[in-house]
Amino acid sequence: MDAIAAGDAISDEKPVSKNTKNFTKSYTFRVILQGIITIWAATTFTFFLVRLLPGNPVSIRIDQLMQQGYTIEEARNQAATLFDFNPDEPMLQQYSTYMVNLVQGNLGTSITSAGTPVRDQILRFLPWTLISVGSALLISFSVGILLGIMIAYWRGGVLDNVITALASILSGIPDYVYAILIILIAGVQLQWFNVGEMRGGVTQGIPAGFTVEYISSVIKHALLPVITYLLATVGVWILSMKSSTISVLGEDYINVAKARGLSEGRILTAYVGRNAMLPLVTRLAISIGFVLSGSVIVERFFEYPGLGLQLARAVGARDYTTMQGIFLVITIGVIVSNILADLVMGWLDPRVSLEDN
Amino acid sequence: MTMNQDVVFSVKNLSMSYLADRGRVRAVNNVSFDLHKGETLAVIGESGCGKSSLNLSLIRQIPRTAEIESGTMDYITREGQHIDVLKLSPARLRKFLWSEVAMVFQGAQNALNPVIRIADMVYDTGKAHGINKAESKKRALRLFEQVRLDPMRVFNAYPHELSGGMRQRVLLALSLILRPQVVIMDEPTTGVDILTQRSILEVLKELRMQLNFSIIFISHDLAVAAEIADTIATMYAGEFVEMGPVRQVFYNPRHAYTLSLLNAAPRLSVGEEELHSIKGSPPDLIDPPSGCKFHERCNFATDICQHTVPPIERDGAHQVACHHSDLVRKERAEVLNK
Repeated sequence: MDAIAAGDAISDEKPVSKNTKNFTKSYTFRVILQGIITIWAATTFTFFLVRLLPGNPVSIRIDQLMQQGYTIEEARNQAATLFDFNPDEPMLQQYSTYMVNLVQGNLGTSITSAGTPVRDQILRFLPWTLISVGSALLISFSVGILLGIMIAYWRGGVLDNVITALASILSGIPDYVYAILIILIAGVQLQWFNVGEMRGGVTQGIPAGFTVEYISSVIKHALLPVITYLLATVGVWILSMKSSTISVLGEDYINVAKARGLSEGRILTAYVGRNAMLPLVTRLAISIGFVLSGSVIVERFFEYPGLGLQLARAVGARDYTTMQGIFLVITIGVIVSNILADLVMGWLDPRVSLEDN
Repeated sequence: MTMNQDVVFSVKNLSMSYLADRGRVRAVNNVSFDLHKGETLAVIGESGCGKSSLNLSLIRQIPRTAEIESGTMDYITREGQHIDVLKLSPARLRKFLWSEVAMVFQGAQNALNPVIRIADMVYDTGKAHGINKAESKKRALRLFEQVRLDPMRVFNAYPHELSGGMRQRVLLALSLILRPQVVIMDEPTTGVDILTQRSILEVLKELRMQLNFSIIFISHDLAVAAEIADTIATMYAGEFVEMGPVRQVFYNPRHAYTLSLLNAAPRLSVGEEELHSIKGSPPDLIDPPSGCKFHERCNFATDICQHTVPPIERDGAHQVACHHSDLVRKERAEVLNK
């Protein structure tokens, strides 16, 4: 580096050295470790919350059984088998048993459908929610980002005014209202689809498998919840992306890029789009939690056999073990999506992976 | 330097204005100058006098709320071909920018895209002008060396990994990568410490010697302008009120505003002398003052200044638009003689 040898006062400045570090010090490792700690904390919190609060599910169950004529001993034993724990054990002992079971994937058995492991129930219903919520969020995020950039570029035009107004209205209406409107207007009034036929995750009698018939039926049945989530979320993405893009468009590096004669396409993607998207990636992770909680109501409207419908049923039937299992899955889902968002951020924005050091 | 065949960029009667709710803000008013090969023209003036608007007009990158009202910008290529910059189509303008006229923007902190590497910015620039990656890289590494950066390390760095001074030098190098004839620099030494400022000026002078490009240098720092410029233009309320060779403008200013600027600048050589700030603030350009726009703040102002726009007087390469240029010259001579 002859250039440095010839240097003066400036030669001692060096870029912040960022050599390859071992994995345990890397950003990825830190993010994943933080995620695991958060999941552990959330599980522990839920465990003690359920057992320490007055009127906890176990004692309510015992009370119920005693009212049905069981003695307290019988009731406790019944409850113990149902919740898969021994109420006489010290709390810490119960906790360690619970955690050991949890790590092995054992979430206990359902109270209402006796003998069905909660894990099996979750595995049966989770895919439907993943398909509907996941595809809705992806579509809504992509559409929102594209429209947001577009109207930011042509701000003040007719398109901007129409889409901005529409997005504000859309984002102001909660998802269950969309579900009702879709059923009432599109289904009952306009007869665009048969409300009865659209119930369930797939049309009855079609064998599961990678056949065109089965997959198209899955898509058809997912359509209503997907459209509902889409309408409820896309407005926020459009508006956030618009404001984010407008602020990026005012940055010096955009003017510099234009002055350098770069093509519009390159400026739009690598200079405007990538920078404007950064704040939205974090919000995507947060919104997954919101959409999952929204699915409790939305799936009930459409009788869509997802986790939300199952949770609603479990709440109605006081099926505490199932509830606890589903809460756990939702918690983990939100935390995992946050981890993913952090990792994507680290990849999109090189400053992020350094800042925490 | 006054030989006409040496002109690379000839700007005549350029006016640019912003359209605000209250009316039209003429930020650049009737500006004319000839920039010669290898010449450095420094434009000095207070904040808000229209320096940066002039810059953006010269590369036609004005904000959406602004328009270039009138004027011509004639650019002469190395092959002697004339280009009417204001008439270029968007596509031709894109090719023209950076390969003929490049720009070093104000505020190095924010002029580089934070999420991609310096290398990508080099490649982007090359690609937009038909230069392949290998050649772009070769040129960039050579230029980084010339601006005294560690070439490979900077090439692979992200902007946040570089200090302010390094970024400013990266921008300088990047502006020269397509070998333009003209580089516009908007306050390139603002916001960096005095040592870094010094080294950037040194580097700039070296590069100018080696590569022989012309510079339009925008600054409010008179000391920096005096050091780097061949020609000084004083800008006030969107107009070039005085323009001439650097020594003449600094030692024999003939416009009251230039004199006020000089009196407001601290000098090490004159220890006892008091600094005089200029009273008032730059005028409202939506409703500019009548006559000479400086008359409300001027110590020399008389009736004529209020009513009549001063004509441009020429004395060789030195031109001025002031009713009292003789009085100004006299007062400056007295100060210097003390």
